[in-house]
Formats: sequence, C-alpha cells, structure tokens
Amino acid sequence: MKISDQISLAAKNLSRRKGRTALTVIGVVVGTCLIVVMISLGIAQNQANEEMLASWGDLTQIEVYNGGAVAVNGEQVKLDDAGLESIRAIDHVVTVTPFYQAYNLNGYVAAGRSDRYQITYLGQLVGLAPEALEPMGFTLLDGSWLEDSATYAKDTIPVLVCENTGYNFEDTRKSQNSQKRYRWQGMTDANGNPLEPFVDVNRDDMTLTLSALSDTGAEKTRTWKLKVVGTLASDYSKGWWTDSGIVVRLKDMKMLMKAYGDLTKDHSMTQTATYDQVYVKVDEVKNVEAVEQAIHDIGFTSTYSSTQQRDDMQKQVARSQMILGGLAAMSLFVSALNIMNTMTMAIYERTREIGIMKVLGCELGNIRRMFLMESGFIGLIGGLIGDAISLLVGWILNNISAILAVFGVGADVDLSGLMGGYYYYGGSSTAISIIPPWLLLGALAFATLIGLLSGVGPAGKAVKISALEAIRHE
Amino acid sequence: MAPIIRTVGLRKVYVTGKERVAALDDVDLCIEKGEFCCIVGQSGSGKSTLLNQLAGLEKPTRGRVLIGRHEISAMTEDELAKFRQAHLGFIFQSYNLLPSMTAAENVALPLMFKGVPRAERLALATKELDRMGLTGRANHMPTAMSGGQQQRVGIARAFVTRPKVIFADEPTGNLDSVTSRQVLFRMLELSKTSGTTFVMVTHQPELAACADRIVTILDGRVQSDVVQPEPVKEKNRAALLASLEGNTEIGGDKASGRARQKTAAELAAYAKPDIRPPQE
Repeated sequence: MKISDQISLAAKNLSRRKGRTALTVIGVVVGTCLIVVMISLGIAQNQANEEMLASWGDLTQIEVYNGGAVAVNGEQVKLDDAGLESIRAIDHVVTVTPFYQAYNLNGYVAAGRSDRYQITYLGQLVGLAPEALEPMGFTLLDGSWLEDSATYAKDTIPVLVCENTGYNFEDTRKSQNSQKRYRWQGMTDANGNPLEPFVDVNRDDMTLTLSALSDTGAEKTRTWKLKVVGTLASDYSKGWWTDSGIVVRLKDMKMLMKAYGDLTKDHSMTQTATYDQVYVKVDEVKNVEAVEQAIHDIGFTSTYSSTQQRDDMQKQVARSQMILGGLAAMSLFVSALNIMNTMTMAIYERTREIGIMKVLGCELGNIRRMFLMESGFIGLIGGLIGDAISLLVGWILNNISAILAVFGVGADVDLSGLMGGYYYYGGSSTAISIIPPWLLLGALAFATLIGLLSGVGPAGKAVKISALEAIRHE
Repeated sequence: MAPIIRTVGLRKVYVTGKERVAALDDVDLCIEKGEFCCIVGQSGSGKSTLLNQLAGLEKPTRGRVLIGRHEISAMTEDELAKFRQAHLGFIFQSYNLLPSMTAAENVALPLMFKGVPRAERLALATKELDRMGLTGRANHMPTAMSGGQQQRVGIARAFVTRPKVIFADEPTGNLDSVTSRQVLFRMLELSKTSGTTFVMVTHQPELAACADRIVTILDGRVQSDVVQPEPVKEKNRAALLASLEGNTEIGGDKASGRARQKTAAELAAYAKPDIRPPQE
C-alpha cells in the first residue's frame, strides 16, 4: 500500500467526521497556543531583563577586588601580576586588566597660560593595561590606542581623553564659590549660546603635576607633559569615568605612584605590587558564571558581575514559566486524552470497515499506520492553527496600547511585568511576546508527537480487531 | 486436474463458556482448479465455518488447509494478508462495501493494498464495473445503489485482482430470487471464462444445483461431496437461464435488495428492459 494512499485515506476519514475532528483539534489548538504564548512571554521577559542589565553594566565584565582574597591551601593569594595571570588562564577569559584610580595622589592637571586652568582631583586619572582596552570593548572616537611599546620624549605621558574631559578644568583665577570657575556640559552664556570647556584637550598643551608637602611644610612637585593620543567614547556600562576621565598606561600609573612615594618619602599608600581592582572580560554572557566561579576557586572571593542579578531574574521568569507552562501542558495532556477518545470511537465505528480491509488483504502495518496518521494529523493541524493563533495573540499583546487606543480605551497599558519582570526605564517599549521560529516548529512537532502518541493505543486496538468478527452479518 | 484447495483432517472447536462445540470435524476435502463449488447445509451446520477455514479467515483447531502449495493454516496474519492480496477474492452476503467510497474506489480497494497507483487502479476498476454492467456508475456511492447493483460492485471487487480463488459467503442471501439467479449466472460465467475457482456457500438448492461440485455439510461433517455430471448441471443451468427469461442483467435499477419472492406479475414486468432512472 502506497504511503500517499494511506495519507489520503487518513485525511478522508478525518474529513468524514468534521465536527468531531474539529472539536478534537480545538483541544490541541488551545494547548499549543497556551504553551507557545507562555514560552514567548518568558523569552520576551528574559530579553527585556537582558537589555536592562546591559544598561546597568557590561554583562561580560567581572570586577575582582583584592579585599576578598583568601588563603588557599595555606597560601594567601594576592591580586598581583601572578594573580592576574592565573585569572587570565581561565577558559573564556578574553582579557584582564587592573583598574587604577589615582585618588591617592595629590596634584593637578594643568593647561593654559601659567597653568590657569586645572583639574584639581587626580581621581579622574585612570590606569589600565593598554592592550586590554580594545578587547574590553572600549571604542575609540578618534586618534589611536595607547601602546606599551611606543616611546615618548622624557617626562611625557601618553593619555586617552574622554568626550567631556575638558569640562573638568576649573579657572583657578576665580573664587571657589564663583560659578565662573566652572564649566559643565550644556552650560550656556547669557545669550543662550553653549559654552565650550576652558580647555580643548585635543589641542591645548596639558601637564600633570604631583605635589607633596614635606614635614617642614615645603612643597615638592614634579611635572610631566601629557600627550593626547586619542579620545574614548563614553560607555556608562563600564563606569562613569568614561565620560570625563583621563586614561594612562598601567606602567605610567605605576611610575606616577612611585614618583609620588618618592616625593612624600612614604610608599605605604602607593604600593603597586597588588591591585585593588581588576577588570576581567569574558567572551560570552553564558560563560560569565563559570568564569566568576573559577575566579572564586582561585581565591578571589570578592567579585561583582551582573550574572547574579541575571540569575535571579531568569529564575523568576523560569518560575512563572513553569507554573503557566505547566497549566498549558496540562491542557495539552487533556487534548491528548481527547484524541485517544476520538480515535477509539472512530475505531469502534469503523470496526466493520477495518475488518473488510483486512479480509481484502490490507496488511496490519498499514492499518496501524493509517490510524496513527489520523491522530498525527489531528496533532499537526492543531499545532498549525495553534501556532497561527499564538502569532496573533503575540501581536495583540505587543500592540495592546495601540489596539486599545483604537477602541478609545485608556491609552497606556503596560504588560511588561507579565512574567514577574522588574519595571525599569524603557521597559514598556520592549516586546511582551517574542515567538522565534524554533518555538513555532517545536510546538508543531510537539503537538504532532502528542497526536501520534495518543494514536498508538487505539491503532493497536484496530490491528487486533478480528476480521471475521467485523464482517459478520449485521 | 490438480486440486487447488485441500483440507486434511480439518477440525474447528469453539469454546463458549464450559461448552465445546465442534463446528467442523475431520473434514477432508479437495476442490479442483477452475471448479465452481457450492457448500450447502442447514443453518448451524458449519458451512460458513468451513468457508472461513478455507479462506484463512480463522485458524483451525487441528488439521491443515492448503491452497495450491501454500499451507495457509500455518501462515501468520501478515502472510495471510499478502496471500489474500495476491490470490484470493471475497464476495459477502451483505456486500461489505465501504460506504465512504464510490463504487470504483471500492472495487479498486484490493489494488490499493497491492500498491497499484491511483489512476491505474481506478481505470481497472471502472473497466471491471463496465463488465458487470455498471457503466456510468463508477462514481456512485454504494448507499445510492440497489442490492443487486451493490453485489455487482462486490463481485467486481473480488474479481479485479484476477484471483485464483473467489470465496463467496451466501452472496445471494440478501437478494430477491430473480437477482439471486442473475448474480449466480454472472459468477458462473466469470468462472467459466476466466478459469477462476469459486467456492460459494448457499442454502438455496436451486442455485447449488448449477455448481460443478456440491459439498453438503451436516453437523460439521461432510455429508456428501458430489461432482455433478455434465448433463445434469447443463440442464440445471439451462433451467436457471430459462427462469430468467433471458434477462441476465442483474437486478436492473429497481431491485430493492430485500429478500422477498416477487409475484408473477412483477417477474413478467422484470423481463422487459427497464430504462427508468434509479430511484432509492
């Protein structure tokens, strides 16, 4: 018996009892639809959470703090170069860099005639490993990256500036209490014209001066020229300092620390052997958790990444999905019972027909396949319609405000928290339901499988029907 | 002629509750190739059981059934299905046409099981229906046909695969006597022109009288197994034909399919060609 004949027979038998088939199919439709919509809500919520986390901080970045270093096997681990290397050796780690802020140093960055304009707080100075900048995901607006190998004139330090570094300069001729001492972004003059920073960091000469007061009260200073090699783009996910900081090479930072120690004759505050803070860049979000765990295993237990929050959020979404998906699965289970019932009924009705077929030489396998196809079709059709309705429901959910507006109902309906997500800025703009192709195909396959499985029992029953019993005269 | 169907020590026992009923007991039977064999007997004599045994629809309690060289009593259900596909045809008392299929589709059913492509098998089926005098009715549903017409579809279905043996279980049981005789006449004709072996169960002696061989069953045993002499069956067949007054077109369009004796007036009317459209 040809497979095409089996298919057409099965289809014909289904269409023969349209009403019953339709009712059975509806059961599958409801089940499929519920499952697809529930999963799509979860996917959308996870994506919204992901976007939110991304706005909070770089998802693939782990920060490691020296403070949390513990003893492993009786040996105190240190966040020094050796410690850095052990972190770098972990799988999926793209790059590692110490993160230094020169808040211990006293001094200023100066520009203008007689050093009129100054940045008075050196915490703006950030030391990073130059080779790590690009892999960390920083972007350059213009110029070039810092390079360890490049050589410069004596007492010259190459730096990267940020977009708004210029606004950190103050006019030292003005009183501390005078507004005229400061410039900030968006500041305008009396006529409403925007005011540029005092210093154009890309053009004006800048110097860095460290200053220390000796016990006798005499001020000792040392000065370097700053050479701007490029401008970094702001990226708040990596820290606010990317807005207006000055980036120097790690080795220059160490040099400055040592020089400051020399000036103050006290190196206790400026030791450079261990790092307070280290940035670790991981290749993909999914590996962050494992890398963070590996860092803990090495002995650096104080770390921060967005993974923790991510896990919590995903768990919450998964919980909602489990409960709602469980209900959906239940309804699909009921529809499976439905299919079994329909098929069993069909077999009782068609006992005689099955008998005739057997007597006329229809093989048992063909009879079994015919019934399996029928039940499989019910699943398949239900799955198809379910998919279609899910897409429609998804579309409606995603456009609920617009749709309600058409009917003149309150304009702002926010369903973004449907899966237990957190409200955050921009939350309502995200899709509420996301239905990827794999979900549609998966649901279709699942529904068909349910149909097939529900048909196994009844088909077995059909095969066992005695041909002779079936064709006995009525 | 070599026997095409043979039974050896065939025994069938039905167990109902505590009682054991021997429906067939020690039946040794030979049916020759091309023979038209009638199995007769009273109700409950075991004649239908015998037919079922011969056709492999039921397993014997003991003994063997051979068709040609194949011992069908030892076959599995799937082997039997394939064997039936290839070599056997069936005609039933209640026609057993599938109500959801057209006449042609019903006739084509055994071909479908054999894997013949749809267009081809429908063409064959239509041709077979033409031979049975059902030209133009290929796409009619069986429920819209008279009993005689339905049985002709049944015969076409049995014959479409050109089987070696056709089993017919009271094929005229649901038909009036005229249609019965017409159906028998058609089967006899097929048997003689194609050399197909027919095994038919009937309780109508006037029909059995036309057969080559008459096997009488009584209480599960072969009471008599008679090969009719040529002159006798010729005479009986001629009588049958005469009673039809030359009207061998089965049923016509008016036959109700209900088993009732027609009045002489009705029969007389029947003899004339009836060209009225089908009315159900």
